[in-house]
Amino acid sequence: MAATSSKARDSGQRGARGKVLSRGDKWRGYRYHHRSTLQSSAVKMLREPLQSLLTVVVIAIALTLPAALYLSVENIRQLSGGVESSAQLSVFVTKGARGPAVEGLGRQLEGLSGVASVTYISADSALEEFKAMSGFGAALQYLDENPLPEAFLVQPLLLNDATRLVTEIRQLKLVDDVQLDMQWLQRLDALLDMGRKLVLALAAALGVGVILVVGNTIRLAIQSRRDEITVVKLVGGTDAYVRRPFLYTGLLFGIFGAVVAAIMLTVLGFWLAGPVDKLAGLYQSQFRVTGLGFGGFISLLLIGGAVGLAGAWLAVGQHLRNIKPS
Amino acid sequence: MSMIRFDNLSKRYEGGFEALRNVSFEMDAGEMAFLTGHSGAGKSTLLKLLMLIERPTSGNLLINGKNLNRLAHSKVPFYRRQVGVVFQNHQLLFDRSVFENVALPLQVAGYSPGDIGRRVRAALDSVGLLEREQQNPVALSGGEQQRIGIARAVVHKPKILLADEPTGNLDPQLSAEIMALFKRFQDVGVTVLVASHDINLINRMNMRIMRLNQGQMEEDGISYGGY
Repeated sequence: MAATSSKARDSGQRGARGKVLSRGDKWRGYRYHHRSTLQSSAVKMLREPLQSLLTVVVIAIALTLPAALYLSVENIRQLSGGVESSAQLSVFVTKGARGPAVEGLGRQLEGLSGVASVTYISADSALEEFKAMSGFGAALQYLDENPLPEAFLVQPLLLNDATRLVTEIRQLKLVDDVQLDMQWLQRLDALLDMGRKLVLALAAALGVGVILVVGNTIRLAIQSRRDEITVVKLVGGTDAYVRRPFLYTGLLFGIFGAVVAAIMLTVLGFWLAGPVDKLAGLYQSQFRVTGLGFGGFISLLLIGGAVGLAGAWLAVGQHLRNIKPS
Repeated sequence: MSMIRFDNLSKRYEGGFEALRNVSFEMDAGEMAFLTGHSGAGKSTLLKLLMLIERPTSGNLLINGKNLNRLAHSKVPFYRRQVGVVFQNHQLLFDRSVFENVALPLQVAGYSPGDIGRRVRAALDSVGLLEREQQNPVALSGGEQQRIGIARAVVHKPKILLADEPTGNLDPQLSAEIMALFKRFQDVGVTVLVASHDINLINRMNMRIMRLNQGQMEEDGISYGGY
């Protein structure tokens, strides 16, 4: 850096009294200033470790709560997504319908919009399956005739289409009954929607909290550096120059808070992984807890940084104007 | 063209106190003058107007031909970079070294570290305190602190140097040294305006003296009080 600036001097870019700063010099000075401001902001935070730690932990908790809830909702949604794909409608055909008419109904069902696939289950094969599965095989031998109807399994493309398909299929000829056993899934879906809204509300409320906490910390920092601010203003420091160290401090608080929040979430994930695996094992499911991930970590950093910056901006806007040289 | 021009300037504070009344004077580039008068006569207000800490109620203040009344708030810092100010209580920051105190006006203006080092040492050299650069100003004597304050005021080579009672707390010999220092900056073309009520000292300097009385310019001329 020293080498480049002396080169600029040798090439005579500056005036005789050295007052004129070239654009390159200004840019170098500006970059240097930003770097040193960031460094001194970090150093000042470390100089009051307890106060800084307290602020960081409060921010971390405020970020962890909505993030943990968000991850829970996402995990449950994934889990239900796995079940969703096996959601099927059972369509029972009126007793006594003849073969070609039943085939016609099958084609009709395939033609409906929102239907992924249609599987035909004959009354005989249904009975065989029932015999094999239920353990009533011997008792069923006493029946004169097969009591089971012909049936179709209809796989909807989307869970949301299921209810509409039920009413549509009910109106078709030869259809005796339609059963949708997946209503609990729709209820779960609605619950998850509510969960997501709750995450947003919680995040907003805690976000405001973080902004106020950072704002208060910055307000104290401004007060303790009153003399410095006065002198800087007197020697020609712009408002942006005076603001900068405090904005960096807010940004750092937010980012550190986000890092601690990420650590807390990871620990929470490990802590829950054991019980969840056990539960999944009991349900013979391959379900695994999905953590924050790299994208989630970056989002958390961005959100933390933004919230910290916002808090600092608020405090700086309110309190710096009050400090005037006298 | 005059460097500083007060044109029928008045300043009335909130609450009605009239600190300055129809004050007019001019100072050429490279001129040095003293501003004197009893406390409350308006010396500090006049300097505050020159630093744009206060704005005039009426009248015009022109610096280098430019009317400061029309200067937007956002441009004030850039104007202040053309002015150096020495305070009675020197306003040094005790949480950093002498070097960092003097470097402040350069940092604020965005100079590179290499430039800052060179200029700060030149300024400290000019007040004779180069060897103190790494010390904390709290460890220095009153006279030395005031010289550090002067170094900070001139490090960015301002066109105008203002001083508000710069010798207020110093003994006569130190005061004379400080005044001699100001004279040296005038010699290199800086316009110097020093507010002081130390009549004995400023009479000996054979310089232009402006005397304020109750906000009005009572006297403006060269004093040869040494005789």
